[in-house]
Amino acid sequence: MQILTIVLQIAILLAIVLLHVAYATYFERKIIGHMQVRLGPMMVGYHGLLQPIADGIKSFFKEDIVPEQADRPLFLFAPVICLVTMLTSLAVIPFAKGWVLADINIGLLFIFAMSSLASYGVILAGWASNSKYTFLGGLRSMAQVISYELPLGLSLVGVMMLSGSLNLTTIVDSQGSSFSSMYLFPQLIGFFVFFVAMLAETNRVPFDLPEAETELVSGYITEYSGMRYALFFMAEYIGMMVMSSIGTICFLGGWNGPFEVPFFPPFWFILKVYGFLFLFIWIRATLPRYRYDQLMALGWKLLLPLALLNIFLTGLFKILVH
Amino acid sequence: MKVQYKPKRNLLETIFQVEILQGMALTLRKLFSPAITRQYPQEKPPMYPGFRGQHALVRDSLTNESKCVACMRCATVCPSRCIKISYHEDESHKRFVDSYTIEALRCVFCGFCVEVCPVGAITMTEVFEYATYNRDTTYFDKDLLLENWDRFMAGSGHDKTYVNPFWRPRGIPESSLPAQRRMNVPDDWTVEKQFVGKKATSSQQCLTATTAGGSH
Repeated sequence: MQILTIVLQIAILLAIVLLHVAYATYFERKIIGHMQVRLGPMMVGYHGLLQPIADGIKSFFKEDIVPEQADRPLFLFAPVICLVTMLTSLAVIPFAKGWVLADINIGLLFIFAMSSLASYGVILAGWASNSKYTFLGGLRSMAQVISYELPLGLSLVGVMMLSGSLNLTTIVDSQGSSFSSMYLFPQLIGFFVFFVAMLAETNRVPFDLPEAETELVSGYITEYSGMRYALFFMAEYIGMMVMSSIGTICFLGGWNGPFEVPFFPPFWFILKVYGFLFLFIWIRATLPRYRYDQLMALGWKLLLPLALLNIFLTGLFKILVH
Repeated sequence: MKVQYKPKRNLLETIFQVEILQGMALTLRKLFSPAITRQYPQEKPPMYPGFRGQHALVRDSLTNESKCVACMRCATVCPSRCIKISYHEDESHKRFVDSYTIEALRCVFCGFCVEVCPVGAITMTEVFEYATYNRDTTYFDKDLLLENWDRFMAGSGHDKTYVNPFWRPRGIPESSLPAQRRMNVPDDWTVEKQFVGKKATSSQQCLTATTAGGSH
């Protein structure tokens, strides 16, 4: 019986998240369109509202091409790695008090592990396609993950020190429900580092070097088509949502808001995640891509020392207060 | 050439990444500005005078036929040589057009044929949506060209005197233009103010300079 309820919860969560992914693409195209003084999708349905559904149907029925020279099993498996790891990390995210599939004690660590695993999907996709563009995309992804995983993890060490826990629910609870007690304020440097590393971790502009269209055709997904291409896309958007959720939980006080919303406790959480997603899109519409060496320099020379400084300051603060 | 470098950012500007914030402010402002997109199939573009669209032969309301006198000027001036005319003469050397064809796919839509026509027989309509899956239908013969005219007359708001005043050979005085071309045009299209090549303007400038110098 308990298993049945959990399966049902998973199904509901999956349905909601996939719907969100579909409409995140629509949202992104609309927002970027208007920022570029265009209209974005307008034809399918009222103001293009049915566009994501049409896209989904299209990619589902498209031919799934596997290049002759590709490493077939790896090629077929790579998008699955990407998507599954991203979906798995959804399990530990608390959307509201008690609204979590698996309330494990190492939630934050689990999400780091999963997001690192997801980059295996990217690297393997680049390797298995057996094409120069995908290979370069995979290589870049590898280098990017190595140099940004560190600051991403270290930026959250401050949060762990303040809350004294890796459990995401506990992190939210320890922030209290008032505006000024959000970890955003004591962890401002941490938040900055986290935010930049988060952009790099999800392969978004300005750090979208693995799939840099202008240089690498489409990077690691060049050889993919149809549903497998869509799987990578879904993984990217779910990754964005997971990272936004982590940002919300660790810095913006999770589901706590100015007032309780009756019947729908995750209201504030979802609103904050939407805010993050808008920020992702806004940045994509504004910034150009970093050069490869600039990306490395930023990661190692700026973000890593800043994250370490943040840990030092947090520790110093804790010692002085107690 | 003097290269204008941006002033170096100071420390505060570097820390807060002021330029990135400025860029973000710009995109946010543009988010709320109206889009300039024209939803084309539903929303047609505005037509301006002088538009060079589909070709047509003007149907003369008196004879119900084309006005063409087979002077061959259009076929001669055509840079892409897409106009083919064949004619025969009677004893009094009056010419009769046997066939008049325009290959629309070869046409470069320069409008020289319209400019040069002494009787205003050929014209270019405001129709631009005649894409087709069939090459033959873009090979306009005389009947098709007359049909184009009929369809344009029926579909657009123009009356039978539709002659575009902008299609006139440049640099020719008003008095030596055919009657239909002597119409009111904006100032910069009159012979005096027309812009006819670099030479003309520079000579004009020289002229004004010398007259200005002489008056001193």
